[in-house]
Amino acid sequence: MKFFRIMAISRRVFRDLANDKRSLAMLFIAPIFAMCVFGVAFSGDVEGVNVIIVNQDQGFTPPFSGETTYLSKEIINNLNTTILNIQNMNNIDEARLIVEKGQASAVIIFPEDFSKNAILKSQNQSYPSNSEIIIEGDDSITNIKNAISKSVNQALSDTLIENGVTPAIKVTSDPIYGEDADFIDFFVPGILAFVVYLLTTIITLITFVGERSNGTLERVMASPVTEGEVVTGYAITFGTMGVIQVALLLSIAILVFNVMVVGNVLLAFLAVAILAITCQALGILLSSLAKRPEQAIQFLPFVILPAFLLSGVFWPLQAIPEWLRPFSYLVPPTYAVDACRAVMLKGWGIDKIWPDILALVIFALFFLILAVWTLKRGKK
Amino acid sequence: MTLENEYAIITHHITKKFKDFIAVKDLNLKVKKGEIYGLLGPNGAGKTTIIKMLASISNPTHGEARVLGEKIPDGDIASKIGYMPQETGVYLGLTVDQNMKFYGRIFNIEKEEMEKREDELLKFVDLEDWKNEMVENLSGGMKHRLSLACTLIHKPELLFLDEPTVGVDPELRISFWKYFNQLRENGVTILITTHYMDEARHCDRIGFMQKGTLIAEDAPSKLLQDTGKDSLEDAFLEIAQKDDRKKVVT
Ligand SMILES: Nc1ncnc2c1ncn2[C@@H]1O[C@H](COP(=O)(O)OP(=O)(O)OP(=O)(O)O)[C@@H](O)[C@H]1O
Ligand SMILES: [Mg+2]
Repeated sequence: MKFFRIMAISRRVFRDLANDKRSLAMLFIAPIFAMCVFGVAFSGDVEGVNVIIVNQDQGFTPPFSGETTYLSKEIINNLNTTILNIQNMNNIDEARLIVEKGQASAVIIFPEDFSKNAILKSQNQSYPSNSEIIIEGDDSITNIKNAISKSVNQALSDTLIENGVTPAIKVTSDPIYGEDADFIDFFVPGILAFVVYLLTTIITLITFVGERSNGTLERVMASPVTEGEVVTGYAITFGTMGVIQVALLLSIAILVFNVMVVGNVLLAFLAVAILAITCQALGILLSSLAKRPEQAIQFLPFVILPAFLLSGVFWPLQAIPEWLRPFSYLVPPTYAVDACRAVMLKGWGIDKIWPDILALVIFALFFLILAVWTLKRGKK
Repeated sequence: MTLENEYAIITHHITKKFKDFIAVKDLNLKVKKGEIYGLLGPNGAGKTTIIKMLASISNPTHGEARVLGEKIPDGDIASKIGYMPQETGVYLGLTVDQNMKFYGRIFNIEKEEMEKREDELLKFVDLEDWKNEMVENLSGGMKHRLSLACTLIHKPELLFLDEPTVGVDPELRISFWKYFNQLRENGVTILITTHYMDEARHCDRIGFMQKGTLIAEDAPSKLLQDTGKDSLEDAFLEIAQKDDRKKVVT
């Protein structure tokens, strides 16, 4: 391996990309566009969820006092009206019908003896009936379901505290990591790795199929340049491109979408650069299966789908069926997504993310060697 | 020993198979140093396949060959040969200048020398005015001219030119051949393929190929004399027919 030849190749690939406005647009504009679309769609919290309240609470009048307390009203007053868009109704069945029609997400029901049970129970723990708030709703959208139950719980505990009652059991969920993390924060590290994976693989695949069909690869192979030098040259260019892409995407994510970055972004750069190197080798590998550039396009579903479904970009690995999970560990972006997320959301350092980095390095070496091997085998 | 000094290329029963298909069959080829050897034959005869084996791009299935005294494909000859692929082999997304510079860089040509060589070669292929143009905007013939210039950038001793004059206009073809002769005078060996019979006449020797074998080989004038024809086309057809008949008999 000679350094000047590796650099000659790397420089040439750079030039090629820089000269071609379309490649540049694909490398830089497309990810920004994708990020903005997702950013706008997922930014912030769930707001304006339509709910119907059916308040049947009769209130509670303690003996000898004559003043009736309506706990339900206090709770309703404490509901966050930015998150919930409240409509009041008297008839439960009518309310359910509206939810069924999809015009509202849930019915929140306060039963007749809500205040009575609550107050008697708080005075005497052995009181037999519990008081409960019933939320009947469309549970199909988790985000919305969570937003509703979270608001109701919040209103409930606020009301109790206002009344000087400390709830007997209090569930607190103090986040260990990801305090104030929104979906966009979870999503950005994933999209970084995914975008770099996708674009690097596709662009090397197309470029390399071109090199094979227009005779440039042969001319280079007839020169003193070795297969290893070609692959290394490409790796340097695409590794650098990956870092530039990530830097750009991260700046936008931070400046425009206020995405949280707790840890050292350089570690995210490192993970993505190694991923890019793996991907360019994968592109070269795949190029040996295509005779013409059009054929390369047919590989796209095989490149996109596994990463999309298995690498944890859009949902955590825990949400993937257990029997499928081992396959997640066979797609390289999984490790980059995991590393970026750990660095950005949890602020982990190299001491904790090294297994991801190690896995990426192993993948990179494996694919690089395989790419060199396919180039050599092409001579047969 | 003397053989190796005298010949730039010697092949011994070299064969190339693609799966079960035999593209080059048991071929013995000798090309003297400093000669222009032309490979002629119909499409699919195996001309490109031979050149690729000799340029170490493709490994022979059987047989062996020496190029510039070294055994291929392991010999260290890459910096001494120049290969011009049939598919132009230039980067469409780069300018003329960037292509030349890239091919110069991989041979480690120094900057000043590079500029000098580039100017000379672009002048020779008449592309000086196109130096900063993107290759994708050049005409087909111009791309071939650039391809030749890129092949010559490192002053190779041995040239493999696979149909270098396809699509090149007649005037420029004449100047190409003048240049090839000039190179030969400087001791450069050229193995060239072409479908233009008028060009084949300029070769010192030509080999007729058919279905992966060499069916005749000699100086153009000698081939014409032996077959009693007055064009190389007719001479080829005559020899090819005889060769077929011979195969039927045996
Ligand atoms: N990579 C390959 N795989 C399979 N078959 C091949 C391959 N390369 C060449 N061939 C076959 O080998 C034969 C010889 O091809 P080759 O390119 O050497 O012909 P040629 O003499 O250069 O023809 P032309 O004048 O058209 O350039 C052809 O029949 C071709 O189909
Ligand atoms: Mg050919």
